[in-house]
Amino acid sequence: MTSPRLAFLFVTPALLFLAAVLGRPLLQAVVLSFQNVGVIGTTGSWVGFENYATILGNTAFWNAFGRSALWVFANAVVQTIMALGVALLLNQKFPGVRIARTWIILTWIVPTVVVVIIWRWLLSTSGGMINPLLIQLGVIDRPVGFFATREGAMATLVMINSWRWFPFTALMMLAGLTRIPGDLYEAARIDGAGAMKRFTRITWPLLQPTLLVLGIVGTLLSFNVFDVIWLVTAGGPSQATQTLPVLIYETAFKGYRLSEAATISVLTSILLMTFALLATRAMTASEEAR
Amino acid sequence: MKRTLPQSFVLYSGLVVVLLIIGLPFWWVITGSIKVPREIIARVPTMFPQSFTLQHFEKLFQSTDFPAYLVNSIGVALFSTVITVALALPAAYAFFRMRFPGRAALYRLILLAYAFPTIVVLIPIYGFFAKVGLIDTRTSLVIINVAFALPFSIWMMRSFLSTVPREIEEAAVIDGAPARVILLRIMAPLIAPGIASVAIFTFIASWTEYLFASVLIVSDARRTIPVGFAGIIGQYQIDWGLLLAGATAATIPVVILFAFVGRWFVSGLTEGAVK
Amino acid sequence: MKVGLLTIAGLTSILMSSAAFAEPVSLTLWHMEQPPHRVQRMQELLDEFNKAHPDVQVKQEPQSWGEIYAKAPAAFAAGTGPDMLFAIPDFTTVIKGIDAVVPVDDLAKDLDAKHGFVPATIAPYQYDGHTWAIPAYNMAISMWYRNSALKEAGIEVPKTWSEWKAAAEKLSKDGKYGVGLPANKQLYTDQTVYALMVNGGAADIYNEDGSISFDKPETVASFEAYGELQKLSPPDSTSWTWGEAEACFASASCGTILQFSVINTYETQAEADAADLGVAPVPHADGQSESGTISYSNAIMLTTKDEAKQAGAKVFLAWLMEPANYGRFLTMEPGLFLPVTNDGAEAESFWSDPIVTKYKSQVETMVANAKNGKLFGFTTGKVFPSIGAISGQNVIAESLQKMVVDGQSAADAVKFGQEKMSEIAGK
Repeated sequence: MTSPRLAFLFVTPALLFLAAVLGRPLLQAVVLSFQNVGVIGTTGSWVGFENYATILGNTAFWNAFGRSALWVFANAVVQTIMALGVALLLNQKFPGVRIARTWIILTWIVPTVVVVIIWRWLLSTSGGMINPLLIQLGVIDRPVGFFATREGAMATLVMINSWRWFPFTALMMLAGLTRIPGDLYEAARIDGAGAMKRFTRITWPLLQPTLLVLGIVGTLLSFNVFDVIWLVTAGGPSQATQTLPVLIYETAFKGYRLSEAATISVLTSILLMTFALLATRAMTASEEAR
Repeated sequence: MKRTLPQSFVLYSGLVVVLLIIGLPFWWVITGSIKVPREIIARVPTMFPQSFTLQHFEKLFQSTDFPAYLVNSIGVALFSTVITVALALPAAYAFFRMRFPGRAALYRLILLAYAFPTIVVLIPIYGFFAKVGLIDTRTSLVIINVAFALPFSIWMMRSFLSTVPREIEEAAVIDGAPARVILLRIMAPLIAPGIASVAIFTFIASWTEYLFASVLIVSDARRTIPVGFAGIIGQYQIDWGLLLAGATAATIPVVILFAFVGRWFVSGLTEGAVK
Repeated sequence: MKVGLLTIAGLTSILMSSAAFAEPVSLTLWHMEQPPHRVQRMQELLDEFNKAHPDVQVKQEPQSWGEIYAKAPAAFAAGTGPDMLFAIPDFTTVIKGIDAVVPVDDLAKDLDAKHGFVPATIAPYQYDGHTWAIPAYNMAISMWYRNSALKEAGIEVPKTWSEWKAAAEKLSKDGKYGVGLPANKQLYTDQTVYALMVNGGAADIYNEDGSISFDKPETVASFEAYGELQKLSPPDSTSWTWGEAEACFASASCGTILQFSVINTYETQAEADAADLGVAPVPHADGQSESGTISYSNAIMLTTKDEAKQAGAKVFLAWLMEPANYGRFLTMEPGLFLPVTNDGAEAESFWSDPIVTKYKSQVETMVANAKNGKLFGFTTGKVFPSIGAISGQNVIAESLQKMVVDGQSAADAVKFGQEKMSEIAGK
C-alpha cells in the first residue's frame, strides 16, 4: 500500500536517533565484557569469555537474578491490582471524576529522589507517621523497623516503588478502558450478563493489547529500577534487595570491576530480550487471532 | 444506568482509600514543611501542625537556585516531550501500517534500550558527549530523555493505532491522500489518547530523571530539580525541614502546571474518538 | 566577508596578546560540600581569593558524594575533569589508580613547616613515597549524650563498653532508646562499627603483606559488643544514615549516639542548650585503657597535568591554609569540620564563629578526640589498592548485617567479612 522508501522516511529519524545515542554505548558495553577493565577510564586487555565464565559460576549473580525476578513479579502483581482497581473506579461516572482522573498521577510526578526521602522520613521512628498510624489502627503495638528483616525490606521497597508507579499504570489502563465501546456493555446487559461476566468477557479481553504492551515494557522498566533500591537500602540488609541493577552498579562503581559489570549487563539484556521476544510473539499471536 | 446502594458503597469507599494512599504522604510532607524543626522529628508526630514557620522555605530560596532548577527542568521536559512525539508518531505509523524489510526485527530491537541497565551506558555516553562537547549542557539531557522515551512511545502509539478501525483509513487511501496527510489529518486525531499518554510519559520521565542529569551536568546553574534537590541532602547532616520544603517546592510547580494542562491531557487520554 | 575575517583575525590577535601579558590561570575546583550554606561560604572565600590574585582565578563546581566515584573517573577519561578535587582517603586511591592525581610533596612539606599538620590527618595520604593530597578538614566520631538525661538516670559518662551497655539499658525507658547505632549497608555503619573496632584493638584490617587480617578475636569481640548495643537501638536503625541518627538524638529518642557532630542539628532542631549537650570519646573495650576513634581526613587533590595550573592551585591551597582564611573555611559547617593543622586549631577565625563559640567545650573535646583518629585500611603506613573496593562496597557494614539481620554469630559474621575482603584483595 505504501512504498518502502516512504516507510524508511517515517522510521529512520527515530531509529537513527536511537542508534546514534544508544547504539554505540551498547556496543561499547559488549566490548567491555570481553576485556578486563577495572576502574572507569583505564584500559584493559582482551580476555575472551573469562568474565562470562566467572559471572555464570558466581552465586551472587544467580541470587541477584532470583531477587530481580521476585522484584518484577511482586511489583507487577501489586501494581496491576492497584492500577486495575483504580482504573475501573475512574472509568465510572461520579461527580468530580475529571478531577480524580487528572490528579491520580500525583505520586508519579514526584522525582524518585524526593520519593525516597519522603518515605525514609515517614517510615523512621523520628517524626515518621507510619508507625504511629499503624499503632493507632491496632496493626502493631510498638514501632517496627520496616527494613529490619530481609522480607520486610523487600516488601517495603516494592510498596514504595508501586506507590510511585501505579498511577501511571492506572492511567494507561484507563485509556485502554475508555476505548472499549459502551454499546458492548449495553448489549451484554440486555443479554443478562452480570458484572463479573461483563468484566471477564468484555473488559479483560479488550484490555489485552494495552496490558500486553504495559506488561512487556513495564517489566523491562521495573526490572531496571535502581535508584529507589539504591537510595534506601543499597541492596541490604544482608543483600536481601540486591537486584541485578544494584549488583551491576556496585560491581562497576563500588567494586571497580567495570568489565564484570558489563558482562552482567550483557547477560541481563540477553535474558530480558528473550523475555521480550517471547512476549511479543504471544502478543502478535493474540493480535492475529482476533 | 443507576447504581445500587452496595455498588455506590464500593465505589466511594474505594475512592476514599485511593485518596488516602495518595494524599496522606503529601499532606504529611506539605504540613511538615511549615512545622518548626523540633516538631518535624518529634517522637510522637502530629497529624496537624502545632507550629507555623516559613524558615525552611526562606532558607531554600535564599541559599539555593531553585527557580533556576525549575526553569531548567521545565525546559528539558518540554523539549524532550515535543521531540519524542514528533519522532515516535511517524515511526509508530510506519511500524504499524507500512511494509518494509526488517520491520518486525527492528520493532523488537528498539526495546534493547530498556533491556540494558542504564547505569552501564552511562559511562560510554559520558565519553561520547564529552567528545562532541555536550557535557554540562541541557541539550544533552534532552537527547538522553528522548532516547529513553522513544521505544516505549513507539510501542504505545502503535498499540493505539491498532485500535483505529481500518475502514476509516482505507477511505482516505482510496481518496488518494498521501501517507503524510493520512497520518497527521486522520490518524493523529484518532489516536489522541495515545499521543497524550506518550507525552505525559515523556514529560514525567524527563522531569524526574536523576542519574544522567547528575552526571552529565556539572555546573549549578544548569541543574534540574531532582539534582538540585539531592544537593540539599547533606552527606553527614540532614536538615529535614529544608528537605521537606524542597520536596514541596519540587512538587508544587508540576502540580500547578498540571492544573492548567492536566484536563487537556487526561481528556485526550480518555475521551478519544472511538466511542 | 573579507572585512569580517580581518576583524576576527584582529580580535583574536588582540585577545591572544593580552593573554600573553596577564596569563591568568583559571582553575576548577570540584568539592562535595553541596549543602547550600557550604557552597555559599566557599564562594565568599573564592571571591576574596580571586580578587587578591588576579592571575589565579578559581571557580567551584559542587558535586555529590553519591555520583563522584563514577563521575570523576569518567570526567578524567574524557578530559573534562577538574583541576582540584576534594577527597577522602579511599577516593584518593581510586583517582590515583587512574593516574589522574599528581603528588604534592613539596607543598605538603612547606605547609607542614608553616602550620604543622596533625599527623593523623596527613598520614592517610602519604604512601608509595609521596603525599597525594593536602588535608583540608578532619572529622572524627565521638559519643554524644545529654548531661541531664544521664544525671536523671543516675549514671556517669560511660568509658567502657560494659559501662555503655549498662547506661544504655538504664536510658531505655518510656519508649526511648538508650543508644542509637545504625546497621545499614552504608558508610555510616562502616564508621560506627570501625569506631568500636579501633577501641577493641582491631584497628588494622591488613597485614604487612597486603593480606586481610579482619578475622581475629578482637574484631569478633567488637562485633559482639556492637551487636549487644544495637539491640537497644530503634527498630528502624537498619536503614539509618547519619541524618536519622541525628534526628533520633535531637528528638531525645536516643540517649547516646556515635556521630561526627550533632551540634548544628542540636542547635537548630533541638533544645539548643549548650550546657546540656555532652560529648565524650567513644567507649573502649573493658580490657583497654584509652579511647581511639575513626577519623576522616578530607583533603584536596591536585588533578591537573598543566604546570601553570598546578602552580596556581598551590597558591590557592597555601592561601586557604593561612589561619586568617582557614578558620572561615572550616566553619562553613561549624562544629563539624575540625582543623588539620596546629595553627588552625588555634586560629581566631575558627573559634570566633558564633556556633563554635557557643559550643566551645564540645568542639575542644572533638578536636582532642580527633587526634587519636584512625581509618580502616590506612593504619599501617602501607596502602593497598583493594581498600577502595572494600570501602566502596561497605564490607564492614555488610558483615555486621549478617549478624544483626541474619542472626549469625559475631564470629561467623566476621568470617564472612574476612572472606569477602580477601576475595576483593585477590582480584
